[in-house]
Amino acid sequence: MANNNIKRPVIMPIAPKPSQYGIDPALVKKRVAELPGMCSLKLADLFPELPPVLYPGGPDALDKLYETAKEELRKVDMSFIKADQSVNILASHHGFTLLGGQPYAILIKATRDVIEEKTGCKNIRLRAGVGMRFRETEEYIKRYELDKYFGPGKTKGVAPVDEGIPIETEVGTLYGIKAVYDADWIIHCHHTDVREVHFHRQIDKAVKPFGMSYARIETRSTYHQNLGPRAANFTARAIFESKFVQSKFAFASFLNVGPHGVIGVDADNDLYAVNDRATFIGCQLYGKIMTLFGEIDDCIAVLDFPCPVPYVFSAGVIYANFTGANTDLYDMESPLPPYTWYTEAFYKKNGKPILENIPPLNPAIKMCVHNYAWTGYPSAFFSDHIPTVVVGQQQADLFDMEPMNIEYMSHAVVAKTTESAMEFAYKTTGTDKVIIFDGAMGGLNCSETLADLLIERAPAVSERVEKELLPKWLRQRGVDVTILEKLK
Amino acid sequence: MKRVTLLAQVDPNICTGCKICEKVCPVYAIHVTDKKAKVTEDECRGCANCADRCPFHTITMVKREKPFTIGVDASKYDRDKINEICMKAHFNPEQVLCYCVGVRAEEVAAAILAGAKTPHEISSMTGIRTGCTIECIQTILRMLTAAGIELKPDPNGWQWYGQTVTAWTMPEDVKTKYNSRGFYFDEDRELLEEIARTGESN
Repeated sequence: MANNNIKRPVIMPIAPKPSQYGIDPALVKKRVAELPGMCSLKLADLFPELPPVLYPGGPDALDKLYETAKEELRKVDMSFIKADQSVNILASHHGFTLLGGQPYAILIKATRDVIEEKTGCKNIRLRAGVGMRFRETEEYIKRYELDKYFGPGKTKGVAPVDEGIPIETEVGTLYGIKAVYDADWIIHCHHTDVREVHFHRQIDKAVKPFGMSYARIETRSTYHQNLGPRAANFTARAIFESKFVQSKFAFASFLNVGPHGVIGVDADNDLYAVNDRATFIGCQLYGKIMTLFGEIDDCIAVLDFPCPVPYVFSAGVIYANFTGANTDLYDMESPLPPYTWYTEAFYKKNGKPILENIPPLNPAIKMCVHNYAWTGYPSAFFSDHIPTVVVGQQQADLFDMEPMNIEYMSHAVVAKTTESAMEFAYKTTGTDKVIIFDGAMGGLNCSETLADLLIERAPAVSERVEKELLPKWLRQRGVDVTILEKLK
Repeated sequence: MKRVTLLAQVDPNICTGCKICEKVCPVYAIHVTDKKAKVTEDECRGCANCADRCPFHTITMVKREKPFTIGVDASKYDRDKINEICMKAHFNPEQVLCYCVGVRAEEVAAAILAGAKTPHEISSMTGIRTGCTIECIQTILRMLTAAGIELKPDPNGWQWYGQTVTAWTMPEDVKTKYNSRGFYFDEDRELLEEIARTGESN
């Protein structure tokens, strides 16, 4: 019998945001969390052993995070940075999608301030990389007023088609974005949120931007096409290990994020030490909620967040990972997740996978209701494989106008309103279990019936992850479990 | 194959002639003359790179009044030759190479057999690399190399710089050095080979 006491009123979803990649926020008339029958679950109730969070918190939570970040950053050796030199703080778009975006912006500001405080350096710039939405970080730089904070001409959104620079590595020449490396020193400002487990498999996650958001198209294509699903992230390590990058790398400044919020800041001159700690967070904290989502037997998945289709969040898990929740994404013995680009490539013209053992997209998802999500990522694979209802003709038209999604609406239908989309989904699927990917901070919004199932299964999942899965996952990644001590 | 529905449109009143659009266009459909960018409408494949990288927001993507379809019909070309190029590049002919447009290896091989000798000609003919324009560049370079075509990057453009490491060229000492960190180099190469082999009999 599920413990009903931990079911709570819905958490306010992340608000729609103005962007060239999404519809006008005014067109988002209703959030699915507002509909009858919905509730929320706090992750700390499902998994009481989760560490406490700095954010979300009280009204001063962001101020406290700024101070915590400065405290941690002051411990880092910056003695080699001279006052007359230049420093590039490197950021990535993902961070701005976490918990409303402010915590990551605060970390960037704190990193800038401590560099100036400790070294006297004034020429501190921000280079913010992107995935496939080339203007995305330009939007974030303005939204969080980083342009004003850093000063005129000091901030830049960079894209993988910008001018490149060859980087000699142990595996031959790879290519970075020139503007990323146009300073004497670089600071890698990132976070531990796992996001695309289907791509990186929590292998060298902390290093990944060197092969992705800081990299040119040639490098990113190497990752996604040349090496295979479990060797891909070596691309990032190859670049980071290069003499060129090592000659510029100063330190890493990380937001320690769990599925339930910001748990701290990790700053270190040794990126691999940060990486090991991030691997532990990624496997242990996110591993539990991912495994719990794998217990869902049938449901309607709702997209309701200002992000491209695969990146909408529920309890720190992105929709793309939920489409693979029928398998263990952390288990390195499984070569192909149900969704990753390598898998997507391996479907034939007749719609069948090339190899019989390629797992299907999560069959528990009976229908996807796309209430609000952005373009800017090739998403037709999802609408082709999962029955999808898009709310509003304007949203459908936006997808039809986007070069990466010309075929998205070829496989989806349009409903006029959120209510009619949900009614259609309830009637045609026969399930009343609903999981909402709306970025609710600290927990997740879902239907009461799904909450019952999650509450019932959480304790056993927690035990299985701790005793059985986590030791296996860490062993497969060569991670020393004693790193847990520093996390404590 | 791609339905080309979009077109880049330049506002000449804002354009400064900085030429960034020229350098990022995967199909060379935009050129600066007399300090103004001009789009060759028939050649634009609607990827939006020019619009998204213009520092002055000079370019917008508009719906074409007359959309058209591009593509190379692989069934009209020698199947053995198509398979040969694909196998040499380690691809299954039915494998998708471009996640945005959905172009498969066999269509790229057919484009090469139809006379394409450069990445931009392949993109122009098939639509590959006209969505995100990022992730499939290495597949095009691998296919051209497999067909025996020499790669010549444009010294004045940023369209692409060069071919990179693959599962088949990864140095053994590198694999040995990093295997324990969870990289499954040989196992993944075997998987990619199994995928490619499955297409041999088609």
